[in-house]
Amino acid sequence: MDMLRNQRYRRHDLIDWFSQEEVSAARIAVVGAGAVGNEVVKNLALLGVGAIDVYDFDVVEPHNLTRGVLLREGDVGRNKAEAVAERAAALDPNVRIRAVPGDFWRTLGIRALQDCTCAISAVDNFEARLKLNQLCLLAGVDLVNTGLDSRWASVESYPYGSAPDVACYECTLPDSAYGRVAERYSCGGLRKRALVERRIPTTTVTASVAGALAASAALRFGPETTTGSRRTLVDTLGGAATTVSIPRRAECPGCAAYVTPPRVVRTRNRWLPPSTVADPSLLTLPLRLSDALIASWECVACGPLEAADRYVNQRADAFDDSIATCPSCNAPSVRVEIRDAFTLGELVERYGPRPAPVKFALADLESGTVCFDLDEDRPS
Amino acid sequence: MSQEIKLYVRTADQTRRAELDLDASSTGADIIQAAVDNWALPADTDYTLVNTTTGKALAPGDDLSKAARPGDVLEVQPVLVAG
Ligand SMILES: [Zn+2]
Ligand SMILES: [Zn+2]
Repeated sequence: MDMLRNQRYRRHDLIDWFSQEEVSAARIAVVGAGAVGNEVVKNLALLGVGAIDVYDFDVVEPHNLTRGVLLREGDVGRNKAEAVAERAAALDPNVRIRAVPGDFWRTLGIRALQDCTCAISAVDNFEARLKLNQLCLLAGVDLVNTGLDSRWASVESYPYGSAPDVACYECTLPDSAYGRVAERYSCGGLRKRALVERRIPTTTVTASVAGALAASAALRFGPETTTGSRRTLVDTLGGAATTVSIPRRAECPGCAAYVTPPRVVRTRNRWLPPSTVADPSLLTLPLRLSDALIASWECVACGPLEAADRYVNQRADAFDDSIATCPSCNAPSVRVEIRDAFTLGELVERYGPRPAPVKFALADLESGTVCFDLDEDRPS
Repeated sequence: MSQEIKLYVRTADQTRRAELDLDASSTGADIIQAAVDNWALPADTDYTLVNTTTGKALAPGDDLSKAARPGDVLEVQPVLVAG
């Protein structure tokens, strides 16, 4: 078996810049098992990467089959991550491939991410990219972001784990991208019921170009010509490509808060009674939560209603905007207060011994920004 | 007080290009908006600006006085969202 393993990688060993040892030691998180995710996982598996974790919540649909080298007709209806991982595992039994179905925001913790060499973003919307960017910034782990349409492929490297003070995904992101995220929500955090998502057609041609460059960037192949963040845009019709460096933006909404990388502190997701808090001034500590919560829910006409118990203190994005209609008077007169800023005292009061449905909480202390990682026992 | 700066602006596919005298206080976002309007670029796409002469991406709020010098070539590139 070991002989077969050695023979398998023999041609790689002939490449002077290729270290099979390093590649086999890498662990890569691939978020999204769509067109790019298929190509990325295929490449990483064939290269003999040590471990690949594939994250996707979605199921395989027939139209995915034209852009999924690891998918077959029999996979329609299966979870994408599971289907992709299963077939990729057959490419090289030495590669440990793990499928993680579900929303990565719930399944990929900061700590698990810190065990990875790099995360590759192969998702299909801005919101997921913003979230993965935040996680990688907090974890201090390299991010490779990909994007496609029917003609262009782009691959961006954000080496948060290997270079200090580099630009993040949001440093050059246009305001219009935030507008597209906002279009998915109403009342400041509830999902829109009648949302028609943009459908951007792609082919396996742009996906395979992005998937090849992303695998190369994730494994840091080639000479280190630049140490900072960079983007390559390829015109797959004709092959022209431009690579530019991405400078850090001082007022960036994604990374400006972290002048120095935040310190991540693993914390039990439990909120002790105020009387047991040694320093009462801590109760006024302002926290920025990873997720917006419903702080109050009340009909302006009917006043407090029993149904409030179903919504208050839950994550806002767990509900759609139908909850802004009053179940008693049927008018759209419910005032839903949604926010992600709470004091420690408020969380103690609201959650007590129960966990809050958030991933992490950020606090600006004198020593710098601290990220309280609450993932361990968060309710799903 | 406004100073003008002569620049070349083009689309990524290079089917559109223009030599422009721009106010040095114009931002990356201003140039993108002008390109989308004047060249009728697809409005359902998001764009970012890169200076191909310096090899650097521009942030939306960067003004030209800092991010470009006369004669530089700026390229309007799509921000790709499918995956
Ligand atoms: Zn940033
Ligand atoms: Zn009512």
